[in-house]
Amino acid sequence: MDFSIRAANVEDCKDIARMILELAEYEKVADHVKVTQRDLEQDGFSKNPFFHGIVAEVPEQHKAKEGHTKIGYALYFYSYSSWSGRAVYMEDLYVMPEFRGKGIGKALMSKVAQLGLAAGCNQLNFTVLDWNKPSLDFYLSQGSFDVTADMGYHCMRCEGEALEHLAQP
Amino acid sequence: MEYKLRKAEPRDVSDILRLVKELAKYEEMEDQVTLTEKELLEDGFGDTPFYHCIIAELQGKNSSDDGKVVGFVMYYFTYDPWVGKQLYLEEFYVMDEYRGMGIGSGLLRHLSDLAMNTRCTGMMFVVAENNEPSIQFYKLRGAEDLSQEEGWRLFRFSKNSLVKMGTPVEE
Repeated sequence: MDFSIRAANVEDCKDIARMILELAEYEKVADHVKVTQRDLEQDGFSKNPFFHGIVAEVPEQHKAKEGHTKIGYALYFYSYSSWSGRAVYMEDLYVMPEFRGKGIGKALMSKVAQLGLAAGCNQLNFTVLDWNKPSLDFYLSQGSFDVTADMGYHCMRCEGEALEHLAQP
Repeated sequence: MEYKLRKAEPRDVSDILRLVKELAKYEEMEDQVTLTEKELLEDGFGDTPFYHCIIAELQGKNSSDDGKVVGFVMYYFTYDPWVGKQLYLEEFYVMDEYRGMGIGSGLLRHLSDLAMNTRCTGMMFVVAENNEPSIQFYKLRGAEDLSQEEGWRLFRFSKNSLVKMGTPVEE
């Protein structure tokens, strides 16, 4: 299938917001999504963006059942390893179900890798849910390793009241 | 003993690397540290910093320890498309002999305050599961273990596999 990958622009935020919700639904946590299209526009496309995006598009004749031509995306940002320096973090990777199995996910991830390498990064990090077997298998087959399993690293978060409490003198 | 917290400056990179190596040694991973002072300088104090640091420095009036860097946090900003800006705590360390004086809590408080002032909805970090003291320290302060509670696993492509993956496939 014919598809193209390109950098996201502010006009893509409507479709990105739609697909973020689709991914959250797949992960069974759609009610966790609080970020809006407007937030994405401000946070990703202002002078100091907090993330970058790439979008996968198909031509009109291959558009999705609901009429979308933007059928996949990846969100990433630069991070840092105190051991090895510059790193890139892939926050989201998603392809709409009817467009899977055509190499689009792989192409999106490859693009993030290329962009990261061009920026001098030494590693690409991301998280996967432990029940998401198709994704776990895909990522392992591409040469990544499970840091949580191999090195015992657990992802932790401090938010809401706990964060406010920590911040008090 | 008095201490003060301040933003790291270019002159601090050798202390930052020293502390990074000390923490790696504590985690029995000293040989994994390939980062250099030059990289720390370029990456932290250039046009677009990849990281930020807060330094804990001793303040002893006539002490030989005055101005000694004894702890630090290294952090950067990340983005969760569900809830927005996050502060990511990459490294957090206080030298063994200066613990129990509130420096660690002070650093964490400073960072949490900064997270809230910059409209981050959360502070994220990783801890090794065999690092019981640290896990207790964080859980006591309300941190959630997302790996345990929600099943999140951290995955990584290291340099070699990253290069392989980033090489465009011939059509």
